[in-house]
Amino acid sequence: MSEHNHEHHVSSAGQLWAIGTALLFLTILTVVLAKFVAIPPPFDVVTAISIALVKAFLVAAFFMNLYWDVKFNAMLLLMAASFFILMVVITLLDTMYRNDVIPSF
Amino acid sequence: MANHSTSHPTHVQHHFVDSDQQFDTAKMGMWVFLVNEILFFGGLFCAYIVYRAWYPELFTEAALELNTFWGAVNTVVLIGSSLTVAMAIRSAQKDQIEGLKKNLLITIGLAVVFMVIKGFEYAHKFELGIFPGEYYTYEGLEHAQAAVFFSIYYMLTGVHALHVIIGIGLIYWIYRRASKGEFSSEYYTPVEITGLYWHLVDLIWIFLFPLLYLIE
Repeated sequence: MSEHNHEHHVSSAGQLWAIGTALLFLTILTVVLAKFVAIPPPFDVVTAISIALVKAFLVAAFFMNLYWDVKFNAMLLLMAASFFILMVVITLLDTMYRNDVIPSF
Repeated sequence: MANHSTSHPTHVQHHFVDSDQQFDTAKMGMWVFLVNEILFFGGLFCAYIVYRAWYPELFTEAALELNTFWGAVNTVVLIGSSLTVAMAIRSAQKDQIEGLKKNLLITIGLAVVFMVIKGFEYAHKFELGIFPGEYYTYEGLEHAQAAVFFSIYYMLTGVHALHVIIGIGLIYWIYRRASKGEFSSEYYTPVEITGLYWHLVDLIWIFLFPLLYLIE
C-alpha cells in the first residue's frame, strides 16, 4: 500500500456487532419502560430521551467513527446540537409565555 | 501543467496534497452537510416540542393511534441497516469487495422493509381518514387539535421517509460503483460518506420513535 496512508481506523466485526446489539437492547429497554413501567411524567419523557441520547452517542461515536476521527467533525456535530437547543429554548421563551395560544393553531 | 502527478494514485484529484487529505476533506464536507440536515429536522422537532408543551393531553391521546409494535420493528430494521453499512465500510477497508457488495445489498433490503412497513402504517391511517391538516376527517379522537398532531407526524416521518428513499438510491449507486471495481482499501471515500448519511437517517429515527410512538 502507499506510504501516504496513515491508519484509518478499521473497527473489528465483533466491535460493530457489539454496538448493534447494545442499540437493540436499548430499543427493547425503552419500549419496556414506556409500555410496562408507570414512570410519572415528566420523567417518562426524560427517560425515553436519555436512552435515545445514549443510542445516538453509540451511533455517532462508533458507527460514524467520531471516536477515532479528527475532533473537528465531533465539534461540528456538537455545534449542530447546541444551535438546535438554542433554537428550541428561544422559541419556547415566546410560546410558553403567551397569554393566549393563537386560536386556530 | 507540470507533470508532478506520477506519485499520486489515480483517484487523487489535482488540488489535494494526497489521498488522506482528500479523504478528510470529503468527510468534513459531509459533516457540514449533516449539520445542515440536523438543523433542518431541528425545525420540525422544534414544532413538535412547542405543540407538545401547549397540548400535552393531545399527544397522549393521539399517539394511541400509532402502532408501537411496528414502530419498534422499524427501529430494529434501521439499526440493523446501520450495522450493515458499518460492515460494508469495514469490508471496503479490508479490500473485501464481495463483502462490501453483500452488505450494501442487505442495507438496501432493510431500507425497503422499513419503507414497506411505513407504507402500511400510512395506508391504515388514510383508511381511517387521518390525513394531515385540513384533510383530516377521522372522528375517533375528541381533541379539537387532533389534526395538528398528525400534521407534525406526517411532516416528521414523511421527510424522514424521503431521506430513506434518497438513501436507497445512494446506496444502490455505491453498489454499482463497487461492482465496477472502483473501491478498494486505498479509495472508499464515497462508501464512507454515504455511510455517514445513512447513519444520520438512523439517528433521526432514534429520536422520532420514542417521541411519536412511546407516549403513554
